[in-house]
Amino acid sequence: MSAAGAGGKAPQLQSLMPWLVLAFLVWLVGYPLLVVAAEAFGIGSPGGGGPTTEAFQSFFTRADEWNAMWRTLWISVLSTLAAAAIGVPLGFLFERNEIPGRRLLGALVALPVALPPLVGVIAFLFLYGESGLAARGLQSLGLDVSWRLTGAWAILLVHAYSMYVYFYLFTRAGLSGQDGAAIEAAQSLGASRSQILFRVTLPRLRPALAGATLLTFMTSLGSFSAPYIFGGGFRVMTTQIVASKLNGELRMAYVETTMLALLAFASLLLLRKIDPGLDLASGARGTPPARRRLHSRGARIAAAAGGWVLAGVLLLPHATLILMSLVPPNTWTVEAFPPVLGLVNYGDLLSSAERLRPALNSLWMAAAATLAAVVVGVMAARLSLRRGGLPGRALEAMMTLPWAIPGTVFALALAAAMSVNAPWVGRFVLVGTLWILPLAYLVRSLPLTGRSIFAGLRQLDPRLEEAAASLGAGALRTVLQIVLPLLRPAVIAGAGLAFITMLGDFVTSIVLYTYDTRPISIEIQSSLRIQETGIAAAYGVLLMVLSAVAFIAWDDRAGGRL
Amino acid sequence: MPNALGRLSVLLCLVAAAAVAGCGGDGRTPLVVYSPHGRDLLTVVEQAYEQTRPDVDVRWLDMGSQEVYDRIRSERANPQADVWFGGPATILARGAAEGLLAPSEPSWAAALDPADRHPEGLYYTLYQTPTIIVYNRDAIGEDEAPADWDDLLDERWHDEVVIRDPLASGTMRTIFGKILADSVIETGSTEAGFDWLRRLDGQTREYVHSPAVLHEKLTRQEGVLTLWEMTDTLSLIDRGAPIAYRFPASGTAVIQDSVGVVAGSDSEDEAEAFIDWLGSPEALGLAVAEAFRLPARDDLDAEVLAPWVADVQSRLRRAEVDWRMIEENGAAWMAEWDRAVRGQGGG
Repeated sequence: MSAAGAGGKAPQLQSLMPWLVLAFLVWLVGYPLLVVAAEAFGIGSPGGGGPTTEAFQSFFTRADEWNAMWRTLWISVLSTLAAAAIGVPLGFLFERNEIPGRRLLGALVALPVALPPLVGVIAFLFLYGESGLAARGLQSLGLDVSWRLTGAWAILLVHAYSMYVYFYLFTRAGLSGQDGAAIEAAQSLGASRSQILFRVTLPRLRPALAGATLLTFMTSLGSFSAPYIFGGGFRVMTTQIVASKLNGELRMAYVETTMLALLAFASLLLLRKIDPGLDLASGARGTPPARRRLHSRGARIAAAAGGWVLAGVLLLPHATLILMSLVPPNTWTVEAFPPVLGLVNYGDLLSSAERLRPALNSLWMAAAATLAAVVVGVMAARLSLRRGGLPGRALEAMMTLPWAIPGTVFALALAAAMSVNAPWVGRFVLVGTLWILPLAYLVRSLPLTGRSIFAGLRQLDPRLEEAAASLGAGALRTVLQIVLPLLRPAVIAGAGLAFITMLGDFVTSIVLYTYDTRPISIEIQSSLRIQETGIAAAYGVLLMVLSAVAFIAWDDRAGGRL
Repeated sequence: MPNALGRLSVLLCLVAAAAVAGCGGDGRTPLVVYSPHGRDLLTVVEQAYEQTRPDVDVRWLDMGSQEVYDRIRSERANPQADVWFGGPATILARGAAEGLLAPSEPSWAAALDPADRHPEGLYYTLYQTPTIIVYNRDAIGEDEAPADWDDLLDERWHDEVVIRDPLASGTMRTIFGKILADSVIETGSTEAGFDWLRRLDGQTREYVHSPAVLHEKLTRQEGVLTLWEMTDTLSLIDRGAPIAYRFPASGTAVIQDSVGVVAGSDSEDEAEAFIDWLGSPEALGLAVAEAFRLPARDDLDAEVLAPWVADVQSRLRRAEVDWRMIEENGAAWMAEWDRAVRGQGGG
């Protein structure tokens, strides 16, 4: 290890750093969960009473709880497979082929990520639901079709649609970081295209794919909006937790949370075994291979047309949301298409500063959380990969864990842990302050920035840093001038996702928002509650536009790389 | 990258500055109100009260009635709310039992029925919300619509009922709670009640997660009947929704929509003054005229009230409800319903 370098920092501090960062992450991520687990056993709950396993006993004897666990698991596995099946080929298509309009199309294809939660799922309902645009459109063509969008298939559809983007983005980021020279070498040795794919490209893509798998799987485990709206009696763990909580069975909710956290933790350990770790960092990073050009004019046109049709289909839910926002209240009943369109809802939205305030809140909180998550992510990933061993693995686990914890419950846990003023045990009164929500966003952003930075760093040759250090560069300079520029695609992929996710976050916000920090999603929820679907959709469109602008700006910053 | 980071941090600073600037108070006393009443009523109340009291800044947050309870409970250590404005008395009763409410003594308390006052003054019923049968009037004629709860179980409404997810909804909890409480009173156990709910489950096309989706489905005739409450329904009809409603012939549970001061509020006196104003003829007149609320106090002059109030009062048949039983058993009953009834009716 090149260690202190020219900066001359005390070696003790260097060796302490992983532990300090780990302690911070444990305090922020693990500690609130411990509070929840303790309360599941009745320890430290304000209600009093001694420790008890009563709630666990009733959990283990109830068939509906086991059903919910099992369903959570298989829904997550199938969601991951479906997302990979869509996202990886699309990633290859847009990264390795020169298609007319590639950059714009490539960005459009990632936009399902910008479909806001809750109201986005409701847009799905309007589009593919029983009397949605698709069904009524087909029926008006004289086709006798009908279906209902409920249960497992509906959840899978929404998951596959919204989560393939992880595979797509990670595949593209991974491919853009590959060295074309390796492929040229393989070609010159006479390898066929499929040999190159399976022997050269895919193995090097493994860190990125492992990252995407983990993210998608964990997102599914913690997914709430889709099961909430389509699940009905088909319960997964997150909806089970909310049902228990709403019913006032707080201890049962904590038990369910603990069980879900254990399931997530077990999955994490299992997936870490598949993750190849550091072995692939060999070889200098060079220029990615040239994109394949389509020579015939016809092929180019066909590819472009196919791309646009695909983008069109993928953007239908967004279009539906826009359509919903243009429907004045109570004017769309049994018609296939809304009979009246207008800007009434936007007028309402823009009529008062109070109604725009949540947009500003969401923007600054998402930006602050993302920036902090990148800083923490780069620090933790570097320390973890350098140091390895137990602290290294623990650092990575802490970065990944928040994604598997349902937002509502993590938020509750944070609220519980941070509602007591006891600095000596690391507890401060943060509930009701401006800071608790951005802090929760930071925790929820960590897996997004963390995974892509880990994946990116694993592809990076550590000798580059050693070279910089031996040439006299300090640690900070090495990070700013060598590591960050090389990590750019990974940082951008992670930060972009984190920013957009936090911009639209619903489940964390609902517990922790205050009057001063109420975000857009809360306004959407309120509008839905008082049956202003049009206003909710208008907010949804606002959120979508903000996300899309952020995303395209980010995409642009990457110079066409991503 | 340094360039991009630089630009990002400039942007971030601007946004943060804007956020901090926007958060600053304007010298008025903030009064934070947690309420399930919705934007319509809350906006009216905010504007009218700030006119009466220019030194107070009413800041409301709108959320489900069960969520108000959840939030106040989880903020117990650092209460943010001053007023708990709205929700069935059964939910506020739970909050009162857990020490989340502080006593108050509004001047209009004497005009209430004793059943509408908490014995220690922790909450008071402000509005009354009858539970009703709602239907799509394009799909069902007035004379065919179910006249009573039992008619919902008729063969012809099979697969035509949509219901707001009962776990999340104070309204649905009240309706289901009354059916189970009646079953206990009449037969000594909940069995008959659960049996009835199982048959209703068999009629049910879908349980939907929010009132908005419920309303959309009714409007688009994905299900043409539901069990819901009157205030919401009247304002939807007022906005042109193709729906109509019936008071069940055998009588209906009337939700006691209540209000109280949050324990540990920074400004308990201001909260009490606000509650006092909410029950004044002026404020109730606004709630009647602008948001279809039915006042709980019955000593108001007819000129304060809109004509619809007399019409509703004349048609409404109040049922006896054992609120205590619902309060005590509601949670366990709903858990049992969720496990053993939902989706089991063979629908």
